[in-house]
Amino acid sequence: MRNDKVRNFCIIAHIDHGKSTLADRLMERTGQVSERDMEAQLLDSMDIERERGITIKLTPVRMFYKAKNGVEYEFNLIDTPGHVDFTYEVSRSLAACEGAILIVDASQGVEAQTLANVYLALENNLEILPVINKIDLPSARPDEVKKEIEDVIGLDASYAPLVSAKEGVGIDDVLEAIVEYFPAPESDTSLPLKALIFDSYYDNYKGVILFVRVKDGSVKTGDRIKTFRSDKVYEVVETGVFAPNLTPKNGLFAGDVGYIAASIKSIQDVAVGDTVINADAPAKEPLPGYKAVQSVVFCGIYPLDGSRFNDLKDAILKLQLNDASLIFEPDSSVALGFGFRCGFLGLLHMEIIQERIEREFGLEIITTAPSVSYKVVKTDGEEIFVDNPSHLPPVSEIEHLEEPIVKADVYSPPDYLGQIMDLCREKRGTFLQMTYLDKSRVKLEYNLPLNEIIFDFFDAVKSRTRGYASFDYELIGYERSKLVKLDILLNGEVCDALSMIVHEDSAYNRGRMLCENLKEAIPRQLFEVPVQAAIGGKIIARETVKAVRKDVLAKCYGGDITRKKKLLEKQKEGKKRMRQIGNVEVPSEVFMQILKTNKD
Amino acid sequence: MGAGIYVHIPFCKAKCRYCDFASFPDKIGLAESYMACVYREMAKRKEELKNYKFDTLYIGGGTPSVVDENYIAMLLAAARKNFNLSENAEITIEINPGTVSEKKIKTYLACGINRFSVGLQTAVDSQLAEIGRVHDLKQFLLCAKLLKGRNFSVDVMLGLKNQTLADVVKTIETAAYAGANHISAYALTPEDGTPIYTDYLNGELPDSDEVAALYEGALKRLKELGYERYEVSNFCKKGFESRHNLNYWRRGEYIGFGVSASSCINNVRMTNTYDLDEYFKCILTDRIPVISSEVIENDEREEEFIMLALRTSRGLDTLEFKRQFGGDFCEKYAAQIQKVREYIEFNGDFVKIKEQFLFVQNSVIIEFFR
Repeated sequence: MRNDKVRNFCIIAHIDHGKSTLADRLMERTGQVSERDMEAQLLDSMDIERERGITIKLTPVRMFYKAKNGVEYEFNLIDTPGHVDFTYEVSRSLAACEGAILIVDASQGVEAQTLANVYLALENNLEILPVINKIDLPSARPDEVKKEIEDVIGLDASYAPLVSAKEGVGIDDVLEAIVEYFPAPESDTSLPLKALIFDSYYDNYKGVILFVRVKDGSVKTGDRIKTFRSDKVYEVVETGVFAPNLTPKNGLFAGDVGYIAASIKSIQDVAVGDTVINADAPAKEPLPGYKAVQSVVFCGIYPLDGSRFNDLKDAILKLQLNDASLIFEPDSSVALGFGFRCGFLGLLHMEIIQERIEREFGLEIITTAPSVSYKVVKTDGEEIFVDNPSHLPPVSEIEHLEEPIVKADVYSPPDYLGQIMDLCREKRGTFLQMTYLDKSRVKLEYNLPLNEIIFDFFDAVKSRTRGYASFDYELIGYERSKLVKLDILLNGEVCDALSMIVHEDSAYNRGRMLCENLKEAIPRQLFEVPVQAAIGGKIIARETVKAVRKDVLAKCYGGDITRKKKLLEKQKEGKKRMRQIGNVEVPSEVFMQILKTNKD
Repeated sequence: MGAGIYVHIPFCKAKCRYCDFASFPDKIGLAESYMACVYREMAKRKEELKNYKFDTLYIGGGTPSVVDENYIAMLLAAARKNFNLSENAEITIEINPGTVSEKKIKTYLACGINRFSVGLQTAVDSQLAEIGRVHDLKQFLLCAKLLKGRNFSVDVMLGLKNQTLADVVKTIETAAYAGANHISAYALTPEDGTPIYTDYLNGELPDSDEVAALYEGALKRLKELGYERYEVSNFCKKGFESRHNLNYWRRGEYIGFGVSASSCINNVRMTNTYDLDEYFKCILTDRIPVISSEVIENDEREEEFIMLALRTSRGLDTLEFKRQFGGDFCEKYAAQIQKVREYIEFNGDFVKIKEQFLFVQNSVIIEFFR
C-alpha cells in the first residue's frame, strides 16, 4: 500500500525558534536541494519574508527519505508561519497533515505562541513530535526544556530529538522520528474525490492554482471537478507536487499533498477551506473547513491615485485568494474617495498586506489609522460592532461603548521591568502577574486595551528595552470603557479619514498631539488653515497652519525657462500626491504618519 | 513683435558669493579672443536668421563693463552687420559700479546702447562686502552720476544676511534718488554649489517669511516713489519696462550668443556650453557650441506661455493665447480657473494673478500644469 510510505506533517514553533532553518536542513538531507543551491531559508520565498526573517505564507514541499529500515518514504512538509497574526495560516496547514514537529528553543523553552499552536494541532488530532533546537548555544538547557514540555504541555518529551538545525546536528534523528511517530494518512482511493483546498494563488498563465490535500479518491488531468460551494465545473489541465517548485505529476491520490490547475479564471469561485469534488461522481459531504477568522485590526485602504480604484480592487481580490484571513468591503470617504475597509489578524498582518499591495501590484496606497472593532450598545438595546470611527452612531443613540481587551505577555530581562511597567500603565494596562522564568528572563502579564497597543506599543517596548523584550498578545474579550470619538477639523470641516475613537482620559492629549503633528505635516497653503480637534461639538485643541507668503521663482529669463518649468513640474508632482479635504491640500502620508505618536 | 538678441560676457573682477552664472574672473585675459569668437558665432547664424527682425539686444554677464569698451562697440557692429536690428531697438548693457568710466559710457552711447542695468544689490557697504561685491556705495554713486539723465535700471537684492527692511528701503531710495527709471528687486536664491549656499544651510539667511516681509516693504516704498510693478521682481516708471525681458514673458523668440546663452527659435530651445575652453574649441572648429537642445511640444508651449504670462502684472493675453494655440483660454482651462478663482482676476482680455498673490504665484501657476 503506497499510503504506508507517505508522511504529511508541518512544523510549528515560536517565532525565531528555527523553524525555517530546520525545514532547510530536512530538504538538504533528503537531497531535495543540493547544498550548493541552498539559499538560506528556502521556503520563505517572498521578499518580505526573507527581509523580515519571518514566514507569512505556508509553503508545501515534497521530499523522499530512505529510512534505516530500507524503505523509501514520501514526506510532504507544509511550512507554517510563527507569528501570532498568522494563526489562521497555521490552522490551514494543520488540516492537511497527520503530524506536527514542535520546535522548542533549547535555551528559551516553551513560549506562549508555542502553546497556542500546540493546542491548534491537538484540536486537529495531530501527532506531535517535540524537537529541541539550538542545542549548540552555550545557554542551551535541553533537560530542563524537556521537563518544561512535559510539565507545561503534557507531552512525552523523552524521545524528543536534540538538534542544532544551524549546525546540522541531529537531523537524521528527526527524519527517523517522522517515519516512526507520524501515522501514514488514512485514506481510500476507491471513494469519490474529496480534496481540501488549503491555499491557492493566481498564475497569469494557468489561472488559479489550488493547493490541496487529497483525503479520499483521486484526481487526474482531464477529470471534471467542482467545489462543494460552487456549481461551476472545470476540467483539470494539470496536477502536480511541490518539489519545492511546482512539478507536474499526473494524478493525485488519497493521502497526497499537491496542486491542481484547471483554468479557473475567477478567484471568487474557489475559497480556501472548500472541498474539491468530482463533478461526475460527486461526494456527498464536504470536508470540515476552517474556523472563520476574526479580524482584530481594521483600516481603510485607498488608492493614492483615485482613478486606480479598480486596480486596487483587483490586487486585494488576488491577495485574498492567497490569504483568506484578509477581509474587506468597499468603503468611501469624503476625504479619500473610494477604497476598502480591510480587516486584519493583527498589526503585522496589516503591514504585510499594505507592503504586498505596493510591491506585488505596484500600487501606491493611502492607509488610514488602524482601528479596532468596538462594541456599541445602543439606547434601544441593540448591539453593533463598529470598526470605522466615522460610522459611530450619534452620541444620543449610544448607551455605552465597549472595547476589546487583550492579555499581553511581555518577556524581558529584569533590568527593564520598570520601563515596561511604566509603559503598560500609560497604556491603561491592568497588571496580572509577574513570573521569573530564570535569572535573565521575566514574564509580565497584563490586560491591555487593544486600541492602546495597535499604534506604537511594539516599537515602544523595543525602544524602552533596547530591543531585549518581546511581546505576544491574545484577544480575551470586551470591556465597558469611557470612549469618545475624536474628530479633526481642517479649516472648519471634519476630516472623516482622521476621526478616531479614544479613551476619554487621553482624548485631550491625543487631540493636542494630533493638531501639533498635523500642523507640521500639512504644507502651508495660500490661506491660513485652522487645525482643530473636537469631541462632539466641542473644540479641545487648535493649531494654525500659517498662510504661505513666498512661493515664487525670483528670476525667469531666456536661459531659465526650461529649468524653472521643471521646478514647477516637480512642485506639481508633489501636489498630485496630496488629497483635497475641503479646500485644504493634505499629503497622503499624513494619514498614517501623524499617528506615530511615539516620541521616546 | 520682434525677437531679442542676448550676448553673454563671462568675465568679472571677482565672483560674488551668490553667483551661479557662467563667469570666470581669472580668465579676463581671454576677453579679446572670446569677443572674436562671439562675432564669429553671430556670423555663422546670419543665414538662418535672415528673416528675423530683432527689436532688442541685451549684453549681460558676468560683468560686460569689465571688457574694453571697444569690443562692445565691435560687438554691436557685428550684430548690425549680421542681423536685422531695428532702428529703435532697445540696447541694454549690464554694468557694475567700479568698472566704468566716463570714456566707457561715452563709447557705449556712441555705438547705440540706450539702456543700462546697474548692479547695486544693496546700499549697505557691510552687506556688499558680505556677498563679495567689488564696489561700495560711493562707487555706485559715482557710476550713477555718469548715467545722469540716461535710461538706466538698478538691481536690488532681497534676503541678504542681516538685511532689514530699513536696509532695503535705503537701497531703493538710493537708486530712485540717483535717477533710475527701472528697479529690479530680486529675492536671493541660494543655489547649491555657491558659497552663499552654506550660509543658507546654516540658517544664516532670512527665511521665506522674512523675505516676503522685505518684499512687501519694498513694494510699498517703490510704489510711493512712483515705480509700478510690471512683473513679480521688476518695477519701473511709466513707459520704462524692459522690452527685452517682456519678450521673454510673452514667450517671444530670442537668440543667444556666448557661453551659457540660450536661444528659442521655432520652438527649439538650445543652450550653449558653460565651459569657456569648449566654447572656443567649438567656434574655432566650426561646430555649434550647443550642449542641450529640446523641441518644445505644443502642450509644453502652452504651459510655458501661462507660466511666463502670469508672472506679469498685466497677466495672460487671451487674444494672444487664441492666436498661438487656438481655443479660448477661459473655456479650455475652466476647471483650473474655477480652482484658483479666488486668486486671479479678469481685466478685459487679460487674466492675471491678483496683486496680493503675485509673490505666491507658483501655487496658482501649477494648477494650470498637467
